[in-house]
Amino acid sequence: MDSLKIFNSDVVIMKSHTFLYNGNFVNSLKLLAPSFPSTCTKKPPTSASTARGGTTGRHFQPSSHIDLKPSCSSHMAAPTSDGLIDDRIARITSAIRVIPDFPKPGILFQDITTLLLDPVAFKDTIDLFVERYKDKNISVVAGVEARGFIFGPPIALAIGAKFVPMRKPNKLPGAVISEEYSLEYGTDKIEMHVGAVQEGERALVIDDLIATGGTLCAAISLLERVGVKVVECACVIELPELKGRERLGGKPLYVLVS
Amino acid sequence: MFAEENGLHGDPRIKAISDAIRVVPHFPKPGIMFQDITTLLLDQKAFKYTVDIFVDRYRDKKISVVAGVEARGFIFGPPIALAIGAKFVPLRKPKKLPGEVISESYVLEYGTDCLEMHVGAVQPGESVLIVDDLVATGGTLSAAIRLLERVGAEVIECACVIGLPQVKGNWRLNGVPLYVLVEPRLTDLECSL
Repeated sequence: MDSLKIFNSDVVIMKSHTFLYNGNFVNSLKLLAPSFPSTCTKKPPTSASTARGGTTGRHFQPSSHIDLKPSCSSHMAAPTSDGLIDDRIARITSAIRVIPDFPKPGILFQDITTLLLDPVAFKDTIDLFVERYKDKNISVVAGVEARGFIFGPPIALAIGAKFVPMRKPNKLPGAVISEEYSLEYGTDKIEMHVGAVQEGERALVIDDLIATGGTLCAAISLLERVGVKVVECACVIELPELKGRERLGGKPLYVLVS
Repeated sequence: MFAEENGLHGDPRIKAISDAIRVVPHFPKPGIMFQDITTLLLDQKAFKYTVDIFVDRYRDKKISVVAGVEARGFIFGPPIALAIGAKFVPLRKPKKLPGEVISESYVLEYGTDCLEMHVGAVQPGESVLIVDDLVATGGTLSAAIRLLERVGAEVIECACVIGLPQVKGNWRLNGVPLYVLVEPRLTDLECSL
């Protein structure tokens, strides 16, 4: 069963069953919400052109296939008895758009900008994180440039924490500390301001998505080097096949959608 | 217009916001006194005041889109969008947005740059607020306005935390009003970090 879900900003999404990431087959995960089909089969990849159907271009009209499902593993908060978390996650999942072959062929890019166009789903995303962290004495929310800047500040404001941007090199003025990390080809660096966080503070690290975990790992290192305790990493989306969760130095990871 | 001249005269929040902004001399190059809002983000009260002032101003203006300019507009735009129930639309540097985009270039001191927005993110007739941390020459904001007007949206206002003196007295960009909370400071009497 495929369903068309139409939200207030005319984003129309069709559901499919598998997606391909970087040449690896990826399973569909079982869904929490009973209204969705439960599939856990491997299938050959659909080519980007057939997946898109009859329209040209990758705009917001139908034909972008998504295969993100609500995260069903134990690192998610237990659903409330009234299924409120399940309903919100279903909507969030549906609001994320997949763009094939971006930034290069073979990659299915998880685009959260469509989530931001759905004010209810965007609010639900923030609420889910705030509910989880508001009583955990977190004084720092560190967000990774640039999409971490979208989710981090609303969470920080709601839980009364500081927001600390983790940036690409040479963007932050004044004294910074840097951490280098590996990319598929080469390395990159993120930076944080000296003095932004104090020893002993408790921090949450936030980004829109975790893939290989390299960026989050670097963010954790930056914070730990100045004596901050990283309580948890939080992302909207996880790509579990890339095993980023294992690169976080034992830090827990909380995601909404896998 | 500056917030102080538009109903917020004497509001202690304005001073708190101004005091929380750090000035970093000679960044990114000699002679520039960089207005660093990261210290504002470390001050939970002042950051909240910033968002609250914008939300109070825009909540009843039937704004359906908040467009934020990469990257510091991504920090201030979403909390405003969430509070007023609007969509958030990121305006990004080239090649960051996946899928189909429209682009608008603008002139820098040396050379040009480009802003992009997703096709279909904004519908004709929508009312838009554009947000960035700071307005200097207005080049970036003008490009943002052009992007949104090209898709038939109406830009109600541009909102920035800081407004450089060049724009004082020129409170409209391409005919769109500009609302700014504070002026830049020239130095720090004490560094807040």
